[in-house]
Amino acid sequence: MHPRSILAIARKDALDILLNKTTLSLLLTPIVLALLFLLIANLLGGHTTNALIYDPGRSSVEQVLKSAYPDLKITYANSSGDVAAAFGPDGSHKTTAYALGLAVPAGFDASLSSGGHPRLNFYVDGSQVSNQQSQLLLSALTNTSRGIANPQPPATITVATVNPPSQNALLNINQFYAAAVLMSSLLVGTTLVPGILAEEKEKRTLRMLMVSPASYSDVVAGKLLVGLVYQLLLAALVLLFALLGSFFSVTLGLLLGSFFQTTSSAGAAAGMLSMIYIIPIFFVGTFAQLFGNNPFTTIVKVLPPYYIADGVINALTNQSTTTGTALDVGVVLGCIVLLLLVATWLLRRQAAVVSTI
Amino acid sequence: MNELEIMIETHDLRRTFGTKEAVAGISFTARHGEIFGLLGPNGAGKTTTIRMLTGQIDPTSGHAIVAGCDVVKDHTRLKERIGVVFEEQNLYERLSARNNLRFSCWLYGLPESRVDEVLQLVHLRDRAKDPVRAYSNGMKQRLMIARALLHRPPMLFLDEPSKGLDPISAREVRQAIQHLCQEGTTILLTTHLMEEADQLCRRVAFIVNGHIVANDTPRNLKLSHGQKAMTVILDQPEQGQNGNAPLSEVTLSLDNPADAERLARLMAQGHVRAIHSREATLEEVFIEVAGISLV
Repeated sequence: MHPRSILAIARKDALDILLNKTTLSLLLTPIVLALLFLLIANLLGGHTTNALIYDPGRSSVEQVLKSAYPDLKITYANSSGDVAAAFGPDGSHKTTAYALGLAVPAGFDASLSSGGHPRLNFYVDGSQVSNQQSQLLLSALTNTSRGIANPQPPATITVATVNPPSQNALLNINQFYAAAVLMSSLLVGTTLVPGILAEEKEKRTLRMLMVSPASYSDVVAGKLLVGLVYQLLLAALVLLFALLGSFFSVTLGLLLGSFFQTTSSAGAAAGMLSMIYIIPIFFVGTFAQLFGNNPFTTIVKVLPPYYIADGVINALTNQSTTTGTALDVGVVLGCIVLLLLVATWLLRRQAAVVSTI
Repeated sequence: MNELEIMIETHDLRRTFGTKEAVAGISFTARHGEIFGLLGPNGAGKTTTIRMLTGQIDPTSGHAIVAGCDVVKDHTRLKERIGVVFEEQNLYERLSARNNLRFSCWLYGLPESRVDEVLQLVHLRDRAKDPVRAYSNGMKQRLMIARALLHRPPMLFLDEPSKGLDPISAREVRQAIQHLCQEGTTILLTTHLMEEADQLCRRVAFIVNGHIVANDTPRNLKLSHGQKAMTVILDQPEQGQNGNAPLSEVTLSLDNPADAERLARLMAQGHVRAIHSREATLEEVFIEVAGISLV
């Protein structure tokens, strides 16, 4: 291999990709997908909860609402009357911009600590907050108040949980979106690279390269390099698996490019094959528990992207094990080497057998 | 290098694709500084020969030395010493002419200043920034020649350089080829345009079904296969013999003393407007030698 030729081919392709509207749109696809997933995440569980709070002494009970709603947007009222006016009397029907309201009297924490019984007004819009959530918040406020009044806990409670639930659903779905975005960004290699290699054959420019100092392996390596550069610009969430996934994706793309003679046939095959990146996402992590073990799961586990997705999701959820990671890395690396060898062999064989290149 | 130096030497060169023998054992030589024409109809084996000589495919048997390099054993050095202009226009159409040439500079490790030199050579400097897809066929062909010349190869292969070009573009390309030859570049040219070969080549070889059936200078080929006769165009029609209609031109044999006397008489009478030799055209020689027409 000649580094000069590899770099030259990669530079040329980098320039050509930017001038090619088709490939440019392919590069933008993962970004669009990421934005789409972000939108879905916001629609499903990421909406903002508005609260109106009067708390001149910045009491610690305010923290209860912040803990319950990570996306809480607080508006501070000038008086407890403003809060009361925003919600109205108990049981009334009124349209309000706030889901929660809290009026904390001045010196609330100090009064509790000195044995006083200050009054705390808590307002809830039932159309935005469920009864169960409301009761939980009320309990949390009561417990926090008790804690301020008497910091010593009345009893020591030891908790033992079997079959611990995974992290809350919202976090899981965010992990899913992160994995989905990463996996979809890996599509770039499979969708972009077949075109840039097959086009060299379709436009007969590969023949020009073959009479230049470049060799077949330089061409493959040049495409690999430019594919990786673009791929890694988009897939940097989990470096190890992004790298492996990118290698796999690009080598699969090179195989398609070696096999097909025209960009259209390579593009069609790449489109169909791209699905194999999406499907495994549903068979790893939390989602795997939904599907259990069935023949389809077994089939999906044969696909190399399953091991990329598994590695990604385990890395994102801090559940990686040495054995699991080694298996994921080993399978993907093995596939990369195999695909590279087959892609180079196919190009050589086509050149030797037919005069189409 | 001197004119005696052999730039291409092939010996019994063969190439088969499956059961089809595309090139069936050809042997020829081309010397430094000459334009050597490989002529034949489509599918005769011209392009396969070029592909073997440029290291794109290996011969099935036989051997060839090009610019001092064995085409099988010395690929790397061979690629540095040859330039190839392909039959099909294989440029990067989205890139500008300048960027197409810059890419070749990167491949060969040349300074990018060389780009302007070759663009000047093929008169494309004014359009250097335009994407190649906006070029005419003639401009693309000239750009391909520029690309092949970028690394100053002593040996240039031109595969059907005038194919698909209009007469003006074809003439520009032919002028570029002649200019290169004058500068000492050895050129192997394939074409099925006999007139072009006659005009450009110092020597030609006819290739038919993978075999070379003739190899000589165009002049020798025409002399050896043409008729020893001349056509005399007359000012005034001469009365035909045996009551035939008057003739405005007559064909006279160069071997016949009576025809020599007749020519002298016509000239003395001042009736001769023009005399043309009946030397064969290269196409006629090809048809006679190969037994087939070119198309």
